[in-house]
Formats: sequence, structure tokens, C-alpha cells
Amino acid sequence: MNLKIDKRVVKGVTIMSCHGRVMFGEEATALRDSLKEALTKTPRIVLNLSDVTYIDSGGLGTLVGVYSSARSAGADIKLTGLGQRLRDVLQITKLATVFQVFDSEEEALAALGQGIA
Amino acid sequence: MSFQPITGPVSSPGSGIFPTLVYVQGNDQRTINLDHTPFTVGRKVDKDLVIADPRVSRDHALITSEDGQFCVVDQGSKHGTFVNGERVQRKTLERNDRVEFGVRDVSYVIFHPHHASSNTAREFLSQISGIQISTDATDLEKLTLFLEAARKLNTTGVLDEILVTLLDATLKLTRAERGYVFLRDEESKLRLAAGRNSKDEPLLDDTTISHSILDEALKSNSEFVITDTSQSLDLAGRHSIVAYDLRTVICIPLRKPQVQATRGAQAPAPTESSAEVMGALYVDSRFASRDISSVSNDILRAIATEAASLIENARLVQAEEASRRYQQELSIAASIQQRLMAVTIPEVPFARLKGRNLSCKEIGGDFFDAVNTDEGLAVVLADVSGKGVSAALLASTLQGMIYSQLIAGMPLVEIVAAVNRFFTHKHIGEKYATLIIARIRRDGELEYVNCGHVPPLLVCNHEVMRPPHGNLPVGLLADATYESDHCSLHAGDRLILVTDGVTEAENARGDFFEDSRLETVAAKSSSLEDIFTAVANFCGGTPLSDDCTVLELVYTG
Repeated sequence: MNLKIDKRVVKGVTIMSCHGRVMFGEEATALRDSLKEALTKTPRIVLNLSDVTYIDSGGLGTLVGVYSSARSAGADIKLTGLGQRLRDVLQITKLATVFQVFDSEEEALAALGQGIA
Repeated sequence: MSFQPITGPVSSPGSGIFPTLVYVQGNDQRTINLDHTPFTVGRKVDKDLVIADPRVSRDHALITSEDGQFCVVDQGSKHGTFVNGERVQRKTLERNDRVEFGVRDVSYVIFHPHHASSNTAREFLSQISGIQISTDATDLEKLTLFLEAARKLNTTGVLDEILVTLLDATLKLTRAERGYVFLRDEESKLRLAAGRNSKDEPLLDDTTISHSILDEALKSNSEFVITDTSQSLDLAGRHSIVAYDLRTVICIPLRKPQVQATRGAQAPAPTESSAEVMGALYVDSRFASRDISSVSNDILRAIATEAASLIENARLVQAEEASRRYQQELSIAASIQQRLMAVTIPEVPFARLKGRNLSCKEIGGDFFDAVNTDEGLAVVLADVSGKGVSAALLASTLQGMIYSQLIAGMPLVEIVAAVNRFFTHKHIGEKYATLIIARIRRDGELEYVNCGHVPPLLVCNHEVMRPPHGNLPVGLLADATYESDHCSLHAGDRLILVTDGVTEAENARGDFFEDSRLETVAAKSSSLEDIFTAVANFCGGTPLSDDCTVLELVYTG
């Protein structure tokens, strides 16, 4: 397994930091399970991908899957720390329009804060 | 080779302990008990298995047994004996091996080590113990025989059976009321793996046992821990003992067998306590029931060492079976993919199309297709996310859907919208495809729709353009909308489509081939092969982690 996920909760928002690669298979499964578990605790999540070196099609599919099911259940996931490669992938796949992407954790947190204010 | 009974005195056919052969001929199949060896196969009528086909030799092959293994031996047949497609002279048979005698595909035999209808380890064990153990054998002798028999079993998926058998045996020997086996899971937490009471009923709930004793036993260095609550003074904190009136609890930690484990008269090896604890065997009795504290220490010691190796063996067998299934799955996926890639490229006077695919070891979900209709020559290149059978099957479905709609002359945008509806309806996220469909008309007018795929390369006079047009992949979001792009090609212009296996081909340093290298080679060269050569040179010896597919469409005017 090439993915490590750290979680911490700040003011009712779970910040999940991923380290390593998000690949189809156990990594994608681990990410999905982690996200789902976090969603049972807080409905608002910031996913920090700054230490993710690679995300393949399966990983991306997982991300979109969890993202859209979380959205439809009323939860909110913001992305931050996207590297150039991931930005490119989101651009090619036009998913940049689907995810809410922020430059920093602080901005993502602020956006979530406004959402509930 | 002389006649050799395979089993002991139990020999009535179908009793559940014989290996079987499933003989398949066309649509018929029958099960044959392998109740004696050598088992003969051939065209002669006196054979145990007669196959009346001219390609089968009179004396074609034998199935023999040695040391509990079964072997197929070719008898110098003309057309050969095959195990899983490979011609063999002599081969030890494994579960589910496919054996063919001269005739390929039409008729074959599948080998099962034990009778399929009653494939339970317990039945086998009880039979053995029933026959071979004399009534005056000591408990310890019984147990040893019993465990020996269990260990020789190489049936797959028997871990649960073995645990239950182990519990039943332990309950019988210790005369305890209840027994449980706990095994560590991947996170090293103890989980209830099996539970039985002395009436041979399953116990699924472990809340009424003494977990404190269980924990203690696991931490201790002893081979087993006996707690007699009538002797124990300090019962504070031992809720279960008090609440459930437990009298005696025996707990045996199950330690991973050591390679050089010392057995017999010597003192326990010093490494014993440091050996990895993989679980625990727990038995108890209530006050109202009987005293089990006097159970022989020899028996407990024997259970402790034997049970652990038993479980370890069963686990190894399970792991082996899992890898075997994985291999099987791979070969299924490979055959699906071969069909996906077997595309007949239509010949049209105004364009030339070439396609090539390089598969990685794991099977991916790439496919391409080409369809010529009145609307023009259409090409499809798609990459279904994921790997293995599921990706290959999904790719196959996708190919069929797109093909039929192209044949019907549907607009490209409607085709991908329909595919997206189908995918999002059937699969919620996670399984999706990036694809590109391009259709070129006789007059050079090109329409294409890119759904999350690597942007195509348009090469005009050695100049490469990457149109920025794109849509979402199909299968991710139900409400996605799709648009297409148009451009006019002139004679000699080329459209190159690739899957991300090409741009993400990695070298030993972990660098990707990238779009820039692809563009450079596409500009310089006019051959598909050159792209693959460039990728191969870039990767060095690093194996591909994803399929590489490249399509080249040249408009000839």
C-alpha cells in the first residue's frame, strides 16, 4: 500500500492529508473507506492532496464517486494542495468544474465556514 | 504400477473422500470417482475412462497416486496428454486442473482432490478418527492422530472447518462446556473465528467469556493458562466470571510455528514466548457444570502446538488458492481483451487508419474500434478505469454500445450521452471511461467528441496541434452534458489518438513519457511504430503499468 492518510478535526471539519500514490486497488479503497468514515463524523471535509505524487484513473474515479455521493447526501468536500499533474488531469477530464478546489487549507476552511454561517 | 488403495478401510464409492474427475464431453458431463489407481484412460473398452474418439490412443494415459498426490502419466499416446493446455508426459494434478487426452477442447476432465458433493474436512476427519483410532488409545494419542489427519488435508477453504473440528476435539478432550477460537485480523485485533458448545452447536457471541483471562493468556509466556475460579482469590474486575458463573477457564495462545521448534522432552525453546501470537483457543465451564481444571497438561500442550500449525497451514493453503484464482481471473481478462483488440479496420478511399496496442501485465480496459458508414469513417478509442476482468467486461459492453450506435448513424454527442446514462445508471461513480470518438467525412470534415481522454494530436505538415476541446469522462456524473468539436483536414493531415498508458509510461526514475515527448516524436515521424519505439527507449527496462494504445488516422483526400 502506497498511501498514508492522516486525519485531524478542526472546528468540526475533518482535514484529511494524503501521502503517497492514489492508485486503483487498495489505495483507492483505503481512500474511499477513510472518506466515508470521516463523513460519519463530520459532514465537512478538506482533502489535502499536496503530498500525493500520483493519482491514476481508478483513484480519480474513487474521488469523484465519494465526492458526488457525499454531495448528494448534503456533505461538503473541498480539495486543496493539488499538484500541477493533478490539475492537468482535472483539466483534461473537465473535472475541475466538478470539484471545489482551493489553493490552501486555510482558504478551504474559510469557504466551509462561510457555507454554514 | 500396482493397485494402490487410496484411502484406508473406507472404500465405498461416493463416500466423500475420493478425488473425482468431472468428465466433460460436449454438453454432457459426469462425475467419476477416482476410487482406485492406476486409473486408465484410452479408446479400448476395458479402460476405466473410455473415450471413443480416433484421436485418443488405445492405451492413452494413466492416473496414478503416490504419497497422496495424483499424477497423470501419458502412455506414449499419438496425440498427447495435456494439462491446462500444456502437453505433458507426467504431471502431478492440482485442484481444477484441466486434463485433455488427444482430443482438444471437445472433451476433457477436471480434477477435484476430494468428492465435490461432500467436500468437508470434518467428514473426512471423523471417518479417519473413527477407523484408525482404537478404543483404548489415550486421549493424547487420539488427539495426535486426529490433528495429523487434519494437517494432511489440503482441501481449500477449510479454515472454518478446521477450527470447528479443533474446537469439537478440544471440548471432547477437556470436557469443557464451551470453546472459542480467536484469530488476529490484519490490524492485529483478536476476532472470534469460531465457537462451539459441547452439544456441537455453534456459538456466535463471545460477550459472555472472560476477556480479561484471554488478554492475560496472550501476554503470558505460558503455553496455556488455567484459571480455576474456586481457587482464585482476586475476582475483582473479572465481571464475566462472576456474572456468568464461570468455574474454569483454559486459554491457549496460538503461536506461529517456529521453523526450528523444539518438541518432546526438552524444555520449551527460549524463543517460544517471543513467537508471534496469531490467536487463542479458549474453553470454559460453569460452576453448575463440571470441573475441567484437572485436564491433562500433556493434552493442552499438544493442542497448543498442533492447533497453531494446523491453522497456519490452512491459512497458507487459502493464500495459495487466492493467488490461483487471481491467475485464473487474469487469463479470463486476457481473452476478453484479445477479442476487444481484434478489430477489422475498414478500408476507405479517402483515409487510412492504423491501430496498435501494447498490453501491460495486468489487463487494462483499453479498446478501439473503427466503423465505416455513410456518415464517414468513425474511430473510437476508450480506456475504462481499473484493471482485470471487471474493466475488460465493461470495455466489452462499452464497445458494443458504441458500435451499434455508430452503425445506426447517430450523432456522436448523442452516442456519448447515451453511454454516460447507461454507465451512471448501472455503476455509481468509480467505474468510468475516458473515450474519444472521431468521424471523418469523405470531404475531410472531422467531427470528434473527447470525453476526458488525452487530447488528440493533429499533425499538419510536421506541426502538432492539441485542440483544447473536452468533456467529462462517461460514467462519472449522471447530469454531464457533451459537446463535439469540428475541424477540416487536408490531404496528408494526421490525427493521432493515444491512451494515457502512453503519456504516463514510466522510466526507472519514475518520470513520465509526457505529452511533450509524444508531440516531438509525432511531429518527426510518420509511423505508428516510431511512437512505440520512442516509448520503449524512454522506459528502458521498466515494465508498462498500463496498456498503451495508439491510433493514427491519415486523411488521404
